[in-house]
Formats: sequence, C-alpha cells, structure tokens
Amino acid sequence: MNDPYTTLGVSRDASDAEIKKAYRELVSKYHPDKYVDNPLADLAQEKMKEINEAYDTITKMRSGSGSSGYARTGSGAGYSGASSASSGSTVFSEIRSAINSGNLGRAEQLLGTVQTRNAEWNFLMGSLCYKRGWLDEARQYYSVAANMDPTNGEYREALGYVNAGGYPYARSGFGMPANVNTDMCDVCTAMMCMNMLCRCR
Amino acid sequence: MFGYVRPDLTELKVKEFYRFRACYCGMCHELERSYGLAARFILNYDFVFLAMLLDERTAPPDYEMKRCAVSPLCARCVCCTSDALKRSAGYSVILAYWKVCDSVEDERSFARIKAQAARLALKGAYKRARALYPAFDEVVRTKLSELAQLEKAGEKSLDRAADKFALLLGAAGLTDGGAADRVREQLLYHLGRVIYIADAYHDLEEDLARGEYNPIAARYDVTSLPVSDEARESVRVTLRNSVSIMMADFELIGDTYWAGIMRNILFVGVPKMCDEVIAGTYQALPSKLPKVTSNGGPQ
Repeated sequence: MNDPYTTLGVSRDASDAEIKKAYRELVSKYHPDKYVDNPLADLAQEKMKEINEAYDTITKMRSGSGSSGYARTGSGAGYSGASSASSGSTVFSEIRSAINSGNLGRAEQLLGTVQTRNAEWNFLMGSLCYKRGWLDEARQYYSVAANMDPTNGEYREALGYVNAGGYPYARSGFGMPANVNTDMCDVCTAMMCMNMLCRCR
Repeated sequence: MFGYVRPDLTELKVKEFYRFRACYCGMCHELERSYGLAARFILNYDFVFLAMLLDERTAPPDYEMKRCAVSPLCARCVCCTSDALKRSAGYSVILAYWKVCDSVEDERSFARIKAQAARLALKGAYKRARALYPAFDEVVRTKLSELAQLEKAGEKSLDRAADKFALLLGAAGLTDGGAADRVREQLLYHLGRVIYIADAYHDLEEDLARGEYNPIAARYDVTSLPVSDEARESVRVTLRNSVSIMMADFELIGDTYWAGIMRNILFVGVPKMCDEVIAGTYQALPSKLPKVTSNGGPQ
C-alpha cells in the first residue's frame, strides 16, 4: 500500500484539521455521484477505496481509535444508476447485469429480442445509450420510460439527472461577460505599468 | 471543426499561459521538423490539448529559445520535443489530410481548388505520419468514411453521427494499453462529441443556406433560423452532459505538469465555448496566440 500521507497529499506533520480537509476534498473529487453510469466508475471506486484506507490508517495511527470516513458503504445519496430495482423479468435482469458489467454488445442483443417495448425496455435502452455516450438518445428513451410509467422513481431520477446536464458542477472562473475583449494586450499593458510604476516583478 | 478546445485565457494563471504558449510553439516546431513547412499551417488548439493529455510527466519539460517564423523578431520559449508532441503532431497531420480529402469531395468551384491544393501540399507529410501511426490512420479513414455515408443518407440521429467523430478522437487517446488509456479514450470520446455537435450548431446557418446536410437540422427538423427554444435547450443539455462526464473523467487523469491548463480547458474554456455557440456569440480565437511583451518563460 502507498504511503497514506502521500495518498492524501499532506505532509507527515499536518494537523488533524488539515488531514480532514484534504480527505474531504479528495472524497468530493472522486465521489460516486459524479460517476453514475460512467464506464470508468470502477476506477473512481478504486480511488475512493485508497483514500478511505489512507484516512483510516492515519486516524488509527494518530488516535488509536477506529473512526471511519465518508461514503464507506457504496454510493451515497442521489441517483444510483440502473443497479438494484428489477421487475422480476429474467431477461430484463440479465440486460441490467450486462449493462452494469459493461457488456454492452450483449445488452443490445438481448434488448433486440424483447417484443414488448414497455417502460422498463425504454429505460434500459436509455441506460445502454448513456453508457455508450449516446446522451441525446438516452434522454429520449428515459423520457419515454418516465412518461409510460410516471410512478417509477428510478426512471424519473434518471431523466432528472440527464435533464439537468449530469453532475451539477459549480460554474468555474470569474464569469467575465462574453463580450469582454480577451486581448492579452490589456494584461500585458497592466503588467508593463506595474513594472514601471511599482518596480514589481 | 478545429479550435473549439481552447483555454479561457482570462482565467489562466500567468505561468500557465506561458506554459501553454510554450507547448503551442513546441507543437508548431514539431510539425515543421517532422512534417515540413506545409504542416505548420494545420496547427490548432485542439491538438495542443491532445499533446498535453498524452504527456504523463509531472516534472517540467525541457525548454529552449527558438525563433518564431511568424514573429521573426522575437525569440520564444519553446517546449522541446517529446513523445506526446510527436504523436499529437502525427495525428493532427493524418486528421487534417483526411478532412481535406473530404472537402475535395464535398466542396465546389474555388473552395474545391483550394482543398485540392492543400491535399497536394500535405501529401508528403501524410505519408510520413501514416507510416508512423498506421492504426490511427485506419480509424480516421474508416470513421470519416462511415460519417460521410451517414451524412449523405441524411442521418436523423445526432448521436449516431457524432459517434463516428467521437470514436475517431477517442482512438487518439490509446497508447500502451494501460489504465490511463481507458480514461483518455472516454474523455476524448466525449470531447469529440462536443466538437462535432458544437461545430454543427455553429455551421447551421451556412449549411441551411447551401442546402447541405447538418445533423442539428436533421435531428430537430430545422428548415430555417431561428432554432426553436426547445431544440436549443436540448442541444445545450446534451453538450452539458458530455462536458460533465469529461470533468469526471479528468479527475482520474492524475496530477501531471499540464493538469492546471487542461483543467482550465475542460472546466472553463469548453463550457464557455458551448455557451457561446448556443448563444450565437462564439468567435474563433486567432490562430496566433496573443503577444506578451515580457520575455518571461514558464516555470
């Protein structure tokens, strides 16, 4: 196992508060909610495991107690993807496992054999499309599924997630107006002035 | 089609701007060194991003001062050649060549003559690049050919059309078959998707006027501008979905030397570009980076 301090990106004499802060930032970076239905979710899970192990190790070393960290047990709040719920139909269960394990060819083949294009069929087509990166088609299929079966929370959640544009990342940057002249001459003029007037480098 | 993948210069740290410019200049010199004078003209931001993505270094690269062909009075600090720069340069030559071949097929009169001249100018460079990267050449040739067929048939599914270009760009992320390849492949897939859709939206007016296929027009049955609010919102949301997946994928890349600039590109530059394309205010950046009078170099 890697050095836990290196994993969390802190020095050995960092305070408990600094370690907790670093831990929280990393958990937020690799949080399962960002990797819903993402084919790379397994890589994010590995990272989460590493981070949790590192935090546990450091906490145990420092205090001797076994306090655990965030998000230990699978995905936290929020949309969990086409994982658990099942209508009981065996072919749909098989399609779900194929999608979740990344066997998209098999899932597509099985979906082609199903005659009744009900809400669940549309939802699973949506999940398959989402995993493939066909996000527009996924949105359309989720929409049909949610319309056909408005009581189903899973379909509504999936539709809500794509309608919102995926994970709600905060808007970065200063958000300067679109018509600001991004000519670097403004920056370099300012730097020249600073150089001449303030002698700062 | 090129130039959409750019940083927001107003949000870059000054040292990151210098690093970015050094990489950009490094790419230009690599194109000339390996592929000749004509290849320099295909330099674009997108493949500078690819070079940064393929480069896994954490320590600074070597830099050298070189004369700039476009600004001959200034010596510029330039990134020395690296595997990532070489690969990205070769890929950009291959893609540029096939796109120019497409233009020869699609364009008429004077534009066609220009495309034929460009194809002739790039022929030698293309042959050299193809010899070095035959697998990528094969992917580009087949995917662009499949895309051309879909476009001729008036494909109505936006995803099906975008998928061809996305797969092509995704293939550019493959190197040694390690775990990083998976991450790069998916990140570049969604980047390709964003580029294809944004470019289609940006070209909508021109394509409608010329009666040419446009995937946005086909998907949303657009026959004249302005685009309906519903269609515009749908394009905005689908772009946002891809951007959000790219952001999540980028976290799995690891802390490389170029990470800060790439973070700016993916978290600020590309979302801003998407917003501008949708709003109709997008303007291509000049292909020459802005001049900064200080002689400072990257750290």
